Amino acid sequence: MDAFDPKVVCFSCDFGWGFVSGHEALSPLVENWIPVTCSSKVDSVFILEAFEKGADGVLILGCPEGRCHFEDGNFRTEKKVYLLQKVLETYGIERERLRMVLSNNPEGERIPELVGEMKQALIKLGPIEKR
Amino acid sequence: MAEKPRIALCWLASCAGCDEAVVDLNEALLDVAEGVEIGLWPVATDFKYNHLESMADQELALGVLHGAVRNSEQEEIAKLMRAKSKVILAFGSCACFGGTAGLANFRTREDIMNWVYLDSPTVVNPDATLPRTESLVNGKSLTLPEFYDHVYALDQVITIDYYLPGCPPPPDLILNGINAVISGDLPPRGSSLAPRTALCDTCPRNRTKPERLEIKAVKRIHEIEADPEVCFLAQGVICLGFATRTGCGETCIRVNTPCRGCFGPVPGVLDSGARTLSALSCLVKAGEYGDPRRLMESIDDPAGYVYRFSQPTSILGRKRRVENV
Repeated sequence: MDAFDPKVVCFSCDFGWGFVSGHEALSPLVENWIPVTCSSKVDSVFILEAFEKGADGVLILGCPEGRCHFEDGNFRTEKKVYLLQKVLETYGIERERLRMVLSNNPEGERIPELVGEMKQALIKLGPIEKR
Repeated sequence: MAEKPRIALCWLASCAGCDEAVVDLNEALLDVAEGVEIGLWPVATDFKYNHLESMADQELALGVLHGAVRNSEQEEIAKLMRAKSKVILAFGSCACFGGTAGLANFRTREDIMNWVYLDSPTVVNPDATLPRTESLVNGKSLTLPEFYDHVYALDQVITIDYYLPGCPPPPDLILNGINAVISGDLPPRGSSLAPRTALCDTCPRNRTKPERLEIKAVKRIHEIEADPEVCFLAQGVICLGFATRTGCGETCIRVNTPCRGCFGPVPGVLDSGARTLSALSCLVKAGEYGDPRRLMESIDDPAGYVYRFSQPTSILGRKRRVENV
């Protein structure tokens, strides 16, 4: 059997992540990377569609506490992620498959690192067995 | 006298509440019955399926189907009705989006069978008998429809011409729909025969909605004495009016009950549950960063709440029985 290579879709906020290096420099380093203007731009529909289209995990990188450019976008997303984790569990998709990190990293070198960490966690979980 | 158009109503995985809604047309039903010939209506008239089979294709001016599709018998009737009807109307939330029956998709077929026939405390089944599609009794073969592993909305099984949502659809929209089909004055195929705006737009409590809504504590309707004039969201009760199509006549709101979303999404929305969740995460004001759980925990079963009527058409729940529908 082929080794399981999980697919991670990563959304990251442009205000906190990778803005010094820029999209062109970072894109080749991260598969399925979708930089957005604010983590709260990530609608529930995008997350569910990522899972429907074959993602094994979704990682959202938002700004640290109290430092959202739009006041509380990161916090709204955190609440959304919590509700969605419960919804995903009802569908038989483990909550660990949707992760949010509130931090910042202007150079963006941590983006591929965090995706790699999530992949390792997903390898332990195995492929999705959706109901 | 010209021949009256023939119409048929049939139920699939349905509670018959939709049939009841047709009966609730009261005297208006007599006018409808004057104008049409009812070819098939299992709840109200005597018939056999072979009556339907013996009709010519497209002989029925209108086929009204309510209920979702869960077993092979329902699929067969749906396909038969499709063949015999010029226009198929998906009637009620179960036909349109899967309805409450669709919540069963959160469990596997095996789970359901085990609970219903083996594990439930009121079940006595020492031989562990489970329903089978074919059994031999005294040398004779008895058959049952196959129970599928998924609940399908009607448009995942056959092509639908029009949708009329609601649990059940209200009398005014039913009459409009039937009259529109009989007179031929119809919107483009695939339309929903209901208004296009959200319930909040027609809600009598809308003007009491504060400019900036902030739910500081999520309440269930039985936990408070809800003010009958004030927006439910302003009272901390989750009402799905903002994500639900209007047309129901605000019947729940008028008896001081929040909207549960039976009319489904407004046009253009793919997954009303997901949209509801996004909106809720903005409306619910939680205390501190890093701990949104405190308030969000009071929403016990978000999936069941936001997908109460639409699980089979949700992004993660949808499946097709027939690929080319």
